[in-house]
Amino acid sequence: HQVLRIVPQSDEELQKVQELQDLEHLQLDFWLAPRGLGLPIDIRVPFPSLQAVKAHLEASGVSYSIMIEDVQALLDEEQTEMLRSSRQLPLNTNTFNYKAYHTIDEIYNFMDMLVAENPNLVSKLEIGRSTENRPLYVLKFSTGGTNRPAIWIDTGIHSREWVTQASGVWFAKKIVQDHVNNKGVASILETMDIFLEIITNPDGFAFTQTTNRMWRKTRSKNSGSLCIGVDPNRNWDAGFGEAGASGNPCTETYHGPYPNSEPEVKSIVDFVKSHGNIKAFISIHSYSQLLLYPYGYTDTPVPDQQELDEVSAKAVAALSSLHGTKYKYGSIITTIYRASGATVDWTYNQGIKYSFTFELRDTGRYGFLLPAKQIVPTAEETWLALKVIMKHARDNVY
Amino acid sequence: IPESGHKYYLQFSTEDYRTGEDAGNCLATVLYPKKKSPPAVSIKCSHTKDQKEIQEEDNRLYQRIRHQSKPITGNNIPDSYGNIEPALEPVWALAVAGSSSIMWEKSTETVGYFLAQVKSVRQWIREDDFIEFDYTVLLHEIPTQEIISCHMRLKWLPGHPLKVKHFCASESHAVDEGSGAESGSAAGPSAEKGANF
Repeated sequence: HQVLRIVPQSDEELQKVQELQDLEHLQLDFWLAPRGLGLPIDIRVPFPSLQAVKAHLEASGVSYSIMIEDVQALLDEEQTEMLRSSRQLPLNTNTFNYKAYHTIDEIYNFMDMLVAENPNLVSKLEIGRSTENRPLYVLKFSTGGTNRPAIWIDTGIHSREWVTQASGVWFAKKIVQDHVNNKGVASILETMDIFLEIITNPDGFAFTQTTNRMWRKTRSKNSGSLCIGVDPNRNWDAGFGEAGASGNPCTETYHGPYPNSEPEVKSIVDFVKSHGNIKAFISIHSYSQLLLYPYGYTDTPVPDQQELDEVSAKAVAALSSLHGTKYKYGSIITTIYRASGATVDWTYNQGIKYSFTFELRDTGRYGFLLPAKQIVPTAEETWLALKVIMKHARDNVY
Repeated sequence: IPESGHKYYLQFSTEDYRTGEDAGNCLATVLYPKKKSPPAVSIKCSHTKDQKEIQEEDNRLYQRIRHQSKPITGNNIPDSYGNIEPALEPVWALAVAGSSSIMWEKSTETVGYFLAQVKSVRQWIREDDFIEFDYTVLLHEIPTQEIISCHMRLKWLPGHPLKVKHFCASESHAVDEGSGAESGSAAGPSAEKGANF
């Protein structure tokens, strides 16, 4: 569509243009209607009518100019601008929009801002690189000491579970706020460090944004198969390959060719082993509203079953206290289903007693596609449960 | 139950999908026989809504859809961010109802489903009063975690039960072909215009 401008210099010219107004089939849209001599008339002319209108004007000797060559192009540009400005890089973590889902770059930028704003508390570690060579970043929250007992939290290991990465971002900010205000986890930070990996599966996450919103696994190639990806929550060395995972690379629960084949998993394994002092390990998923502890690969209860169950009960009660969200809890195998090679089964067997997995909101109505307005309520309530676990770990040294 | 199968006793509450209002309680028994076959279900529910209210709501939904000037089409409902355009809510509601019948047929003692997303919807205008939609819905399968794509044809008129025909791809990205049409749609997709796979 084009927008033409005509400035009638005579009554005849004015009349010629007014004639156009009556020709309904031309579908002309007068942005500035004829008002009088010397006053501009602006007409948006749909493409199919352009030739006819121009011919009519030229035949009558009415001069016109093309004000807008391509209306659609302008609209597209505006659209892009609008999107860009709503996604404009926020200036600091106070203007960051926690109520929206973000891209990888926005989250990486958030991390850098958080570190820059709080250099004495937060640092960013790169623990490895993904299959597609994306950095695997972990935020370390520490008030000092050397290799203090630590708490590990990861979100986004399954890329389609978007509320988890979004909650991770919120947790990061919350930890800083608590520290600044000397509330909440500030007391925990006096004696413990917190490690937070927000985008645990960046390749998968990128894929959910560009290509397939429902992508779960990593993006590694599988030899001998056209199918891509390994389930990072079946790739750990705990009951690896046993019932509860799939040996078929084309399935969502494919365990991979061998334990820790995925760099996203191996990097955490290496980190945990070399740190040697992690006391609580929490891996966050969605959806189902559950708090789970090991085991998934066997129905033998863990030795600390009773304690983990009690902690779970308290954590879930704290979570529900905020918005009434109902959670169930128990071991993986008794609460959901048998799953082998799961993260927290391995961490527990490494001696990290307080190993938990969360499944956040909801229970299936929106599932993976949780509306953004539920991000903050979800993060807030989950945080209460996390604090119960962290406090218990602090108060029960082992 | 030895020699017979597994019997489950269920007590559950229901709520209105739209409003979250309590919609009554149900008591059910489900018997999964030893050999593969659909379970035997007996169920009794209390209702908190009266028939008239339900009828009125059905009619409102129906009118909302009928009064659109053009055939309704849509994609990705909800979208990646969980949003549903208000204009497409009625269409989503029908998809929820229709796909529940697919899930009812497909689920077993060990496999269950959730509706993950309505990938696409297209309305077919009919000469009679029925409204008709063609859907592609994505079902999230538990515990396999697979996303199953199903083609669903849905026909409805208030006062009549929802008529649903479906055909699900047997595996979302396996290399081998599906093992044949799922039940419910004996006529097969070829008879339907614009079957989208």
